[in-house]
Amino acid sequence: MNAIEVNHLKRVYRAAIGVFKRSIKEVVAVDDISFSVEKGELFGLLGPNGAGKTTTVKMLATLLIPTAGNISIMGFDVVKQANEVRKRIGFIFGGERGLYWRLSAEDNLRYFASLYGADPEVSKKRIPYLLEMVGLKGRGNERVEGYSRGMKQRLHVARTLLHDPEVLFLDEPTIGLDPVGAREFRQVILDLQTEKKTILLTTHYMFEADALCDRIAVIDKGCTVALDTPGGLKKHVSDLSIVEMETFGAPEEVLNGIRALPFVDAVSVEDQDQRQLLKVQTERGAEAVPDLMAALDGQRVGRVIVREPTLEDAYVRLVGGKV
Amino acid sequence: MNIRNIIKYWRVTLTVAEMTVRHQLNDSFIVFAVLIQPMLIAILALFMLKEKGTDYAMFVVVGSGLTGLWSSLLFVSGNSINVERWSGTLETLVGVPTPFEVIVFGKNLASVAQSLLSMVVSYALAALFFGYSLHVDQPLMFIASVLLTVFAFVSFGLIIAPIFVMYRGVQQWQNALEFPVYILAGFLFPIALLPFWTVPISYVLPPYWAAIALHGTTTGAAPLEETFFAWGLMLVFSIVDLFIASRLFKFMLYKVRVDATLDTE
Repeated sequence: MNAIEVNHLKRVYRAAIGVFKRSIKEVVAVDDISFSVEKGELFGLLGPNGAGKTTTVKMLATLLIPTAGNISIMGFDVVKQANEVRKRIGFIFGGERGLYWRLSAEDNLRYFASLYGADPEVSKKRIPYLLEMVGLKGRGNERVEGYSRGMKQRLHVARTLLHDPEVLFLDEPTIGLDPVGAREFRQVILDLQTEKKTILLTTHYMFEADALCDRIAVIDKGCTVALDTPGGLKKHVSDLSIVEMETFGAPEEVLNGIRALPFVDAVSVEDQDQRQLLKVQTERGAEAVPDLMAALDGQRVGRVIVREPTLEDAYVRLVGGKV
Repeated sequence: MNIRNIIKYWRVTLTVAEMTVRHQLNDSFIVFAVLIQPMLIAILALFMLKEKGTDYAMFVVVGSGLTGLWSSLLFVSGNSINVERWSGTLETLVGVPTPFEVIVFGKNLASVAQSLLSMVVSYALAALFFGYSLHVDQPLMFIASVLLTVFAFVSFGLIIAPIFVMYRGVQQWQNALEFPVYILAGFLFPIALLPFWTVPISYVLPPYWAAIALHGTTTGAAPLEETFFAWGLMLVFSIVDLFIASRLFKFMLYKVRVDATLDTE
């Protein structure tokens, strides 16, 4: 039995619009997603903003009801047997919400331990253990409002482990953390994996997915675009090279001109203060550079390098250049 | 539900209540609703009834305490689910195995129990600043009435909270519901002074029967049968409220998961 089974999942949001003439607007957040996760596997869910990642995780965590399709967690249906699922899962959504800021970390944990039906005597031992595990030893009696964002995220991890769940859903858990905090958090995730927890992780950071995940599903527009190991996904771009070009305020029409070149497979643009970093995927490698320079049509160009593709480049190709 | 589950949920209820009190200790709105406003009402009423004697002073103490209970029920218990949604904790609470109505029961119990302080404050005010020598005529029956009142208010709150979540139009009338109940439930003067057509409305309000029981046992003026009748009706209302609440919670939890309104983000 797999820990997680997702079959043809669909979720439509309906919202009433208009004041005098009311009408219902439908938005398809998840159209058709299927995957399964083995016990003890660390599974990644990647996709651009609005691809349906958080919606999928909320359905997995019993917090949203699917419009169609079905999900089972450890053999239990998330709609019909929601309570059985809740006993076996833990979840974290990125951000600082979801804790009682005016209570101490220990009180927060005591509160949620009670809600998970934990024995008070067991909680007395488990709470200090978890605080130590997430690096909050000695800070447990402080109010959460005084915690940094990273400390709050680590407290969320402790909260979600109170009842020792078999399956964990981590939705962009490192978002907003500083580099040191994010690195510490990734270590916590790896520690959890050694405890044989089944983990589903969504993230925007490709290196994070590459370093942590056993397998990755890439979703776009609510559908599964690819599902493979990080190495397998990289093979999608093994025939390509990446030309990185630093530009300064290149207008959209020039970028569209590059996208339209016959030897260009995909282009992603990262805005970094005053400059842009163009990542051009092409089969021609270094030979493409002169033509690309010509297409930039006199724009100021800084550093230019040609390199091997990474998981991020595979991702860009799969979702059509949207990052 | 078996005995084991009842004990388990009672334990959860007490932990939720404890944490709710701790969390609300720094909330200035709670301090206003529970302490300041009933105190102001008590001062006003005590001045108005200055010449009427000790029995009236006790009536005012209990009545202003009841205003604190009702305000707490309306604003704190009524908003107990919405507050969790606004602060981003609702998803976490819905995602635990404990039934959500047990959690809200614990939160409401804390709010209503702490609002009993308003009665203590009014008592102290009447005794210290107005010089009344106050006593409760039937102390044991008064305590029983207080316990039943808390149970009736908590149960009533379990109906209001999901309604406020599902129907924002109703919540907009929240402020308008405060003073009419003070009047219709006879907190500060008997409903006999009101027009006849308002009486049936008073009879279907659990706070009215709470006021009958509390006023009756403090002054000793009401016959025992009247107090017992009020207790019986508070129990009946509580059981009916709990039954309706269980249905409302089931419907609300399904609806918010379909409408995706567990979180505001």
